[in-house]
Amino acid sequence: MSELSLFLGCVAPNRYPGIEAATKKVFSKLGIGLVDLEGASCCPAPGVFKSFDKLTWLTLASRNITLSESKKDDILTVCNGCFSTLKDVNDILKEDVNLKKDVNLKLAEVGREFKGTQDVRHVIEYLYQDVGTDKIRDAITKPLNLKVAVHYGCHLIQPLKESHVEIAENPTFFDELVEATGATSVDYEDKISCCGAGGGARTAILDSTLKMAEKKLQHMTEAGADCVVNACPFCHLQFDAGQAEINQKFGKNYHLPALHYMQLLGLAMGFSPEELGISLNAMDTTKFIEKVKMDTLKSKICITAN
Amino acid sequence: MAEQEQAYKIRRFLQLEKIGQNSEGQMNIPFIFYCTTCYKCQDNCPQGVKIVDAVLAIREAAVHHGTMLPSHKKVAQMLIASGHAVPVNEEAKKRRLQLGLSELPPTVASSKDQLAEVKLLVHLSGFDKLVAEKNEYNLPMVKSTAFKTCDQVLAEGKA
Ligand code: SF4
Repeated sequence: MSELSLFLGCVAPNRYPGIEAATKKVFSKLGIGLVDLEGASCCPAPGVFKSFDKLTWLTLASRNITLSESKKDDILTVCNGCFSTLKDVNDILKEDVNLKKDVNLKLAEVGREFKGTQDVRHVIEYLYQDVGTDKIRDAITKPLNLKVAVHYGCHLIQPLKESHVEIAENPTFFDELVEATGATSVDYEDKISCCGAGGGARTAILDSTLKMAEKKLQHMTEAGADCVVNACPFCHLQFDAGQAEINQKFGKNYHLPALHYMQLLGLAMGFSPEELGISLNAMDTTKFIEKVKMDTLKSKICITAN
Repeated sequence: MAEQEQAYKIRRFLQLEKIGQNSEGQMNIPFIFYCTTCYKCQDNCPQGVKIVDAVLAIREAAVHHGTMLPSHKKVAQMLIASGHAVPVNEEAKKRRLQLGLSELPPTVASSKDQLAEVKLLVHLSGFDKLVAEKNEYNLPMVKSTAFKTCDQVLAEGKA
């Protein structure tokens, strides 16, 4: 049986632990081994740290990778930022012997060595490429009657593009995974656009990044979406906490629940919204949760009636 | 980002860099920190120029000259102190328990030894010095403009 190492990052465990809980539940239901990558730190985040000091960024990221090198299988991330950093660093160090030497000199001081035996995977592309939508469909017990606005996020696509993975060109893989839950992925303007949070921009210039997120929220709402589904806890934060900020700062009234794909899949596998942490969002999700529960009830009645 | 911030002109930064002027110099601070690294420009560049890499390199040069936004510096210091750029807080601990997870995440947050490793590596890389408090000496401009929009800064410059 495979055993992936779960790299948590910062925002999922420390702001949206529902995403962590959902990931663990979903993988156990799929029968795929997933163990915590104990002792991991911040990836470190590509926006700030990569641009502050590349060697520090490489060193800390490679330490995270070494934690998994004693394990049989690859590292799994549930975050676009972590994916971008860890995959980038892993690929750079596998290629560049001199940089690898520099980094290993530092790692030696803490008794570690980067070997380059692992790959770094993002949960979305992993599920699509290695598990497949058929197997996902088979694991679903409560097909969802939802209209979903899919948000890929820049740093899910870009690292795949750089490794010339075919699915990254005019991507549909995330939509297909969403539709495997029974939900419909709605088309909306500027779908591939940025949520605004990345690159350290949210920290630097909040209001402008909120305007970027607002544009997306507006297009998603116009498309009749019941929720926005993302692949990244930081995009998730921008669409959830950021949505509350948009409403408050700009006097708007958006009410589009944000779910990480792990939470959406969890719902379709029959886990309750509460145990997936959907009710812990900054935005009120009561109505959404009611709708999901009503739909499940209706389909139960249908099944008994038949 | 250019749509939201009229004065954010990625082409301008890169031109300045090419003709040997420090684009991390006064004029473009703090704009160089506004790029979300969305890769839209790079995707659309007919010449395949690695624009985002260039922006990040300019930023790195700026930071190495002691120029960074106080808010980014705080994030960096957070990483040094806790191993996480976004560390756990009381609310998160409560929620973790509520969801049946361990109170502290199974990361550096749960292990003093692992955190010590991170701190030593940060020190060996000189990152702790790079983002130390006292580095905030030069460029008073960073302090005064960091939280303004590009338009505000430009308007003030004209006045
Ligand atoms: S990556 Fe390019 S398009 Fe995106 S915010 Fe940065 S400069 Fe603008």
